[in-house]
Amino acid sequence: MSNDFKPNIVGFLCNWCTYAAADLAGQSKFDIKPSINVIRVMCSSRIDPNLVLGAFLWGADGVLVAGCHPGDCHYEKGNFYTRRRFTQMKKVLETLNLDPDRLQLAWVSASEGQRYRDVINAFTDKIKEMGPNPLKPNPAV
Amino acid sequence: MDENTNNNVLVIGAGMGGIQASLLLAEAGKQVYLVEKEPLFGGNVIKYEEVFPNMECSTCMIAPKQQEVLQNPNIELMTHSIVEDVQGSVGNFSVKIKKKARYVSLVNCIGCGACYDPCPVSLDNEFEQNLSQKKAIYIPCPGALPNVPVIDPEYCTRLKGVDECSACKDSCMFEAIEYDQKDEILDVKVTAVIVATGFGLFDITAAPKYGYGKVKNVYSAFEFERLFAKNGPTEGNTVLKGGENPNSIAIIHCVGRKELGYCSGVCCMYSYKFSQYLKHSFPDAKVFQLYSDMCVPGKSYQKFYKQTMDKGVDFIYHEDVEVKGNGSKIKLNVKNGKDKDQELEVDMVILAQSLKSTESNSELAKILGIEQDDKGFFVSMTESFEPASTAKPGIYVVGCSEAPKDVPQSIAQAEAAVGKVLALT
Amino acid sequence: MSDKIGVYVCECGPNIGEAIDIDKVIEAISPIEDVAVVRRHKLLCSGDGQNFLVDEIKNEGLTHVVLGACSPKDHEITFMNVATRAGINPYLIQVVNIREQCAWIFKDKDIATKKAIKYIRAGIERIKYHKPLQKKELDANPDVLVLGGGLAGIEAALALTQTDRKVYLVEKSADLGGSVMKFEKLLSHQGFNLGLIKEKVDKINSNENIEVLTSTNVESVIGFFGNFEVTTKPAGEEAGGKSFIVGAVVVASGYNWFDLESTPRYGYKKIEDVFTINDFGRMIEESEKLKLSTGKEPKSIALVHCGGRKELGYCSRVCCMQMMNIGNYIKDKYPGIEVHELHSDLCVSSKNDQKYYEKSKEKGINFIRMKGVEVGGKAGAISIEYTTLAGDKGKLAVDMAVVAPGMIPEAGTPQVADMLNVPLHPTGFFKEGHEKLNPVGTTMDGIYVVGCAQGPKSFMETLIQAQAATGKIFSHLIPGKKIEPEVKVSEIIEAFCTGCQTCLDVCFYGAITYDEDKGVSVVNEAICRGCGNCAGSCPSDAIRPKHFTTTQLYQEVVEALRE
Repeated sequence: MSNDFKPNIVGFLCNWCTYAAADLAGQSKFDIKPSINVIRVMCSSRIDPNLVLGAFLWGADGVLVAGCHPGDCHYEKGNFYTRRRFTQMKKVLETLNLDPDRLQLAWVSASEGQRYRDVINAFTDKIKEMGPNPLKPNPAV
Repeated sequence: MDENTNNNVLVIGAGMGGIQASLLLAEAGKQVYLVEKEPLFGGNVIKYEEVFPNMECSTCMIAPKQQEVLQNPNIELMTHSIVEDVQGSVGNFSVKIKKKARYVSLVNCIGCGACYDPCPVSLDNEFEQNLSQKKAIYIPCPGALPNVPVIDPEYCTRLKGVDECSACKDSCMFEAIEYDQKDEILDVKVTAVIVATGFGLFDITAAPKYGYGKVKNVYSAFEFERLFAKNGPTEGNTVLKGGENPNSIAIIHCVGRKELGYCSGVCCMYSYKFSQYLKHSFPDAKVFQLYSDMCVPGKSYQKFYKQTMDKGVDFIYHEDVEVKGNGSKIKLNVKNGKDKDQELEVDMVILAQSLKSTESNSELAKILGIEQDDKGFFVSMTESFEPASTAKPGIYVVGCSEAPKDVPQSIAQAEAAVGKVLALT
Repeated sequence: MSDKIGVYVCECGPNIGEAIDIDKVIEAISPIEDVAVVRRHKLLCSGDGQNFLVDEIKNEGLTHVVLGACSPKDHEITFMNVATRAGINPYLIQVVNIREQCAWIFKDKDIATKKAIKYIRAGIERIKYHKPLQKKELDANPDVLVLGGGLAGIEAALALTQTDRKVYLVEKSADLGGSVMKFEKLLSHQGFNLGLIKEKVDKINSNENIEVLTSTNVESVIGFFGNFEVTTKPAGEEAGGKSFIVGAVVVASGYNWFDLESTPRYGYKKIEDVFTINDFGRMIEESEKLKLSTGKEPKSIALVHCGGRKELGYCSRVCCMQMMNIGNYIKDKYPGIEVHELHSDLCVSSKNDQKYYEKSKEKGINFIRMKGVEVGGKAGAISIEYTTLAGDKGKLAVDMAVVAPGMIPEAGTPQVADMLNVPLHPTGFFKEGHEKLNPVGTTMDGIYVVGCAQGPKSFMETLIQAQAATGKIFSHLIPGKKIEPEVKVSEIIEAFCTGCQTCLDVCFYGAITYDEDKGVSVVNEAICRGCGNCAGSCPSDAIRPKHFTTTQLYQEVVEALRE
């Protein structure tokens, strides 16, 4: 089954760094796996844990939160808050019986188009190995 | 409005200083002509992957500012352009700007990049310190702004009259290629002029002891910046000429200090940054810093030096050094103030060059009627406590065009010049 | 009125047109509820394309527009202007990135088409929850408070003077002039014409747009950019305070000296004839003569650099030049006196400094590079023991020593920072808004920090910073002009807010306060920058960052996952 499985990943990208990196990856015409579904936010710290859990409950096989490298935040320190919230979210995933590795945090700066490609493609492969999200609502229902 | 007054300001040079000055002037309602000689803008900072002392991503820092410039209706950015003549006096300068033909329409081009591949001509990419090739129609690096290519008329076979090649035009769906574009002269009136022409680096071929150009794997500071840059010729994989990663690297400080007669104030810091780049990519590599005076002024910089030291970088005091090839290795003879010279063997050498004035300054000094010092930097009125003003009213000098500076000092001086310009009216 | 959404897909020539099957997109999008029209266009960002959109919005009576096009980083502002031209609110436009993040990265046309449909659908579902957002304009007071009457404060106050702007210059001591005036002879010797400072002080005192409040402390500053309420109090008195409104604050509160007494190795206050730069400056201000405690003229003087550098953990930037200046002063006035400069790293980073150093050497000043030093002995026979770089020990006998203490933050800096709600650097100096990009700003709009209040600075750097703050104020705070705060700010839904105040802690800009009466948090829209960190932290989902609300983002999540 693993070959047929096409993961669906929700990616929350900060406007200033990672979203810009995603654009740069496009300008560089990199091949990126279509698992990624980008949602733009102003800062990674905007990501409310509810949005992440909501994504999993709606069937996301993986969720990526990506922003500026620590120390580079456009809003001083937003990404430090993101990092802290992240640790907590991972714990919540465990209680839901979800592999916490389905949630990934990545720092990708605006010049790192190739890193953006690598992050997306590697995360996709990892999710592929894990298989579909067990919480995914059954489409037949 | 009075016939003899206008609301315009000319800013020469679109690096950090010029950008900041333009944005502030535009916000105050001035109409800004921002003239940049290169086909892209952003100055030297866009060549860097990260900046000291917080190792911030340089692009993330400057790209939003560049976007603001591009979208600001009060700023007319003229890349690939030079100021040819300035007449008049404060409040009423007449300026001639030459917009060099780009051969690509800034209006029609959407930056898709479809034109590069078909171009049959390849040449060294100067922006990448000739470490990679570009086509005769090119943007210097991915992410360059404005994202519109330029055709190099010295290499394009069609523009040289060699043939009728139209490969780029054929590939462009937007009618953006304009072979018949001509240089344009633009006449504008401005009240004041801010000069922000930036810096160059000490010419290392003038100091043979460093072995540059003769000894393999001796790199200039900008070459190394690009070798580490994620949007650079190797996508950030720092490799030696043979394609392998370096295991031992020596970074030589104060290259040009003696010859130029001043300390540039930033090379120590950028050398530590280089060490941090290297330790990040190659944690096991040996990194040596050959320093003379640690120039770490102010509240933050010494901490950066300590951080660098903590990463396992070796610091060696040197008064002089000689760089020689030794098979595939590089041998350094270090005069360290002791009786006997120290010897070092490494496989990569990076030269931390001093900052110098740009060559175009002398032409500009003549055009503007302002003074240069014996080092080619513009002279500001420090004696009368006006460090951003020149002796000629209405003309201001900021950033490294006035003296070597770091980014925040350049920005502060640009803001100071804006204060002076806005006080005129 | 029900929504009428127009969806326009830009071909961007072949960039989208060839990579994505736009007909299929149109077919998939057309049946979606509230979608009134779906059309394609060659190039929406072109002049033709923009006019086409304006006509479409007007002719079709569209309420919302979704554009499948390039990155919003390229043309969001272009299309927002199109909306305004067509008479709809610019926030009722959504640019969906199907070029950089779709057409250009998915090389399989079928995949790219499916993804484009998904993204556009998400844009449609999202825009149904968009609210028209209005630019706000706030009245702003153009007056400025300058805190500190030293070199930086004097320069800023005078430079800020304009006809329609009042400047309040508050100085806690009795006189303007600050520390530079204490070094008149030394600085003059270095070529600084301090007469210019005196002229500036005179101009300030006679300028009716500047109100000088000496022997005065600032008690409180409350508010935000364009509207700070300031109260002052005369030093040492209870009554007689003033209160006034300003639009901006320039902090120029200066620096202090490292306490050499705390470090026994300098022998300061234990050995007579061991001085600080300050003491030396005072001595020559009082009388030209250099005198030892015995009343005699010294024969040899050691100038010891880097006092406290190790303890402080930073280089104070100006001491090398100050010490060389003292060396030159002595050599010029008393050529017979031996001068030794014991320095570590020479900090000569301004373009003429190194030349000065070389001239100093030519004058016969003996420069000794050391990595450690101890001042011992007794008056009349002061001994300087030092370690060279090579590790050798050296010793000097002198009859006077001057030690350069490093610069430290002025006492009271933490209180001022607290009052202004601006952060400090780990060294205790004020922290700049951004170490690279915003050297004289702070994280609070309208509050600027200049000169040595934010770290060791040279004379010229201080002047530049004072003028820089002036430039920023002239640019941002223009008399008679309103200020426009960020539109996409956070708002708090009072009904959901439990008053836990978590958001107050996470807001780096101090934009959120707590309303005790209502028991809820309140966002000050003039300060908020719209990062949304507060929303990420709110446990009761009471915070809505405008244009990035949970509902809007949630629509995007749901559409991303629709099979």
